[in-house]
Amino acid sequence: MILELRLSNLRNGESGIITSVGVGRGRWQHRRARQGWRFGKRLEDMGLTPGTEVTVVNSAPLNGPLEIRVRGSRLAIGRGMAERIFVEVKR
Amino acid sequence: MTKNRFTIALAGNANVGKSVIFNQLTGLHQHIGNWPGKTVEKAEGTLHFKGYSVDIIDLPGIYSLSTFSLEELISREYIAVEKPDLVINVVDASLFERNLFFTLQLLELETPMIMALNQMDVAKRKGIKIDHEELEKRFGILVIPTVAVSGSGIYELLEKAIEVIEKGGKRPFQVKYGEEVEERIEALSEIVKKAHYPYPARWTAIKLLEKDEQVEREIHRINPEILSATEKFAREIEDIHGYACSSVITSERYDVSRRIAREVREITPPIKPPMSERIHALTTHKICGYPIMAVSMLSIFYLIFTFGDFTSGLLGDTLFRLKPVFEDVFGTGVVGKLAWGGIMEGIIGGVTVALPYILPFYFILYFLEDSGYLSRIAFLMDSIMHKIGLHGKAFIPVMLGFGCNVPGCLGCRIMETTRERLLAAFVVTLVPCSATTVIILGLVGAFVSIQWALALYLINLLIIFLLGRLAFKALPGEPTALIMEMHDYRAPHLKTVLKQTWFRLVEFITMAFPLIIVGSLVIKTIEILNLLEPLADIISPVTVTWLGLPAIAGIALIFGVLRKELTLIMLATLFEPTNLAHAMTPVQMIVFTLVAMLYIPCVATIAALVKEFGWKKALFIAVFEILLALLLGGIAFRLLSI
Repeated sequence: MILELRLSNLRNGESGIITSVGVGRGRWQHRRARQGWRFGKRLEDMGLTPGTEVTVVNSAPLNGPLEIRVRGSRLAIGRGMAERIFVEVKR
Repeated sequence: MTKNRFTIALAGNANVGKSVIFNQLTGLHQHIGNWPGKTVEKAEGTLHFKGYSVDIIDLPGIYSLSTFSLEELISREYIAVEKPDLVINVVDASLFERNLFFTLQLLELETPMIMALNQMDVAKRKGIKIDHEELEKRFGILVIPTVAVSGSGIYELLEKAIEVIEKGGKRPFQVKYGEEVEERIEALSEIVKKAHYPYPARWTAIKLLEKDEQVEREIHRINPEILSATEKFAREIEDIHGYACSSVITSERYDVSRRIAREVREITPPIKPPMSERIHALTTHKICGYPIMAVSMLSIFYLIFTFGDFTSGLLGDTLFRLKPVFEDVFGTGVVGKLAWGGIMEGIIGGVTVALPYILPFYFILYFLEDSGYLSRIAFLMDSIMHKIGLHGKAFIPVMLGFGCNVPGCLGCRIMETTRERLLAAFVVTLVPCSATTVIILGLVGAFVSIQWALALYLINLLIIFLLGRLAFKALPGEPTALIMEMHDYRAPHLKTVLKQTWFRLVEFITMAFPLIIVGSLVIKTIEILNLLEPLADIISPVTVTWLGLPAIAGIALIFGVLRKELTLIMLATLFEPTNLAHAMTPVQMIVFTLVAMLYIPCVATIAALVKEFGWKKALFIAVFEILLALLLGGIAFRLLSI
């Protein structure tokens, strides 16, 4: 079964394909969309683009950040950010 | 070509060995400063080669050329507007795909460039083989394999760089995107070409489609019609792909990187996981990671402060022995007093407080950063630091602040955005440093009770917690959550770490010492002119009426600006021969300590703040903290006197 989940909901060791990064089709002048743009842009610049495979390797306790592998490199990403990334997972 | 002075810029991701290459190239001819008007560090160096003088600029380590951080903006502005003769793109061969993503963006800036394919040794250990000649053909640029830490390939890199410049630096190829995107980029560049924008037309077109804030703003000023054309193209792309145009461009760029990476690279993964992987797993483990971190942090703390105390004492003793010499030269009159008490004691203060702690601190900071452990600590501490509005990376500066606020403030530059840096530095200045701890223990702990001393310490921590959150909410700009690369562990390149330490130290001295000496001179002058007591009277409405302290305590507080532990020393001297216990009531002692704890960062800390953030912000923090200390002191006095 294929599920669409937030990246933060993946178990350690699980992989998924990114479907979207929490940024809508931003309106041009709208300020919130702007912030969303920056947020999404940063993640995408780090390689988290739609269609990319991402693996959760480890997570820090107390709702700490996740350690993920994406495009051959290892990133630490805050949980708040991970909650806004949606992935498709086979379970 | 008659020109014999060139500029070469080093550009690349963070942690690819850029600063090692920079240090290998420039040796001891370096200058560390800030980019004009910015709080981002600029490292420059000069070298002489085959009759040319070459200026090397080490651009900040970044992942993209968008507008996420000041570093990115500075880098792209520098390359496009200042136009260095050549850009050397330093690439980590072991993390090829991510690095190429940045290379593609550099290519779009249409600057003459060559590539240093670095960390070839690490790549080899990971079983990665890269056909660099094939890569040269793809991009139309020279690719030189290097191992910066051993110096291999560096000479060739420089030789080729000069050759390329001599030949006039040909432009690299442009890498094509998918057809439907490419068509629109080309159409848009045609329109942009007429706008006379300092950046290349194709680059501008791509940035517009990415909805780059700065480019949009500037293009809007030149010709708003270009933006409506952009919007039309962006919508078309969005309709084809089904998601935001900026995401499409980034995805495409990564797809191209991946495609090229696959074509020129061969991977045969090693069977045994390397040692660095096992250390990584251990140091980020949710149980084992914390004790390991606690032990390393405590040893670092211990190391810095034993080294600091020892050297500080040694330096202080040695310098104070010069006093008779000074008195011989300048006499014991006003001039002599100013020369010794003003200038020399200022220098001694600077030398004994700043140097012995800052030197080992910088060394350890760069060591931790370079080895990769810093990012693991940030990973482990992120959720806790979030409670005070910071994120994991701020743990190190805040922790060091408990020893001395100065290195704490300087360490805030490891944060990514200016907002984060300022927030972290603000929190650091509130942290009780070792001198503050001396006041708390030496006054309240010794004369009131140890419980009260502890209570004051806790109150201080509570204030940090509350103000940290408040500042986090109040400061303009967007909060940025943690996102960072955790590169593989590696042995730091000692020579680079030592040089980084040395040049930062020199930079700090040139910045802070004049300020420390001036501060010391001013206070000494006031003392010599017998103005201390009139001054104490002037501020007595605050010290006596509002805070309920003896008037003379105001003098001690003024001296504390130089070094906080001076407040305690001054208090003891001023009340001589009476015992402190009789001169001040317990309530006065508690209020005094509370004020001394918070009231102002010492002059060296202010100097560090000025250096990192400029005068305005430094003064704002100082004034804010004085007001806060007075407010809380007054409230405490009234509460405790009930």
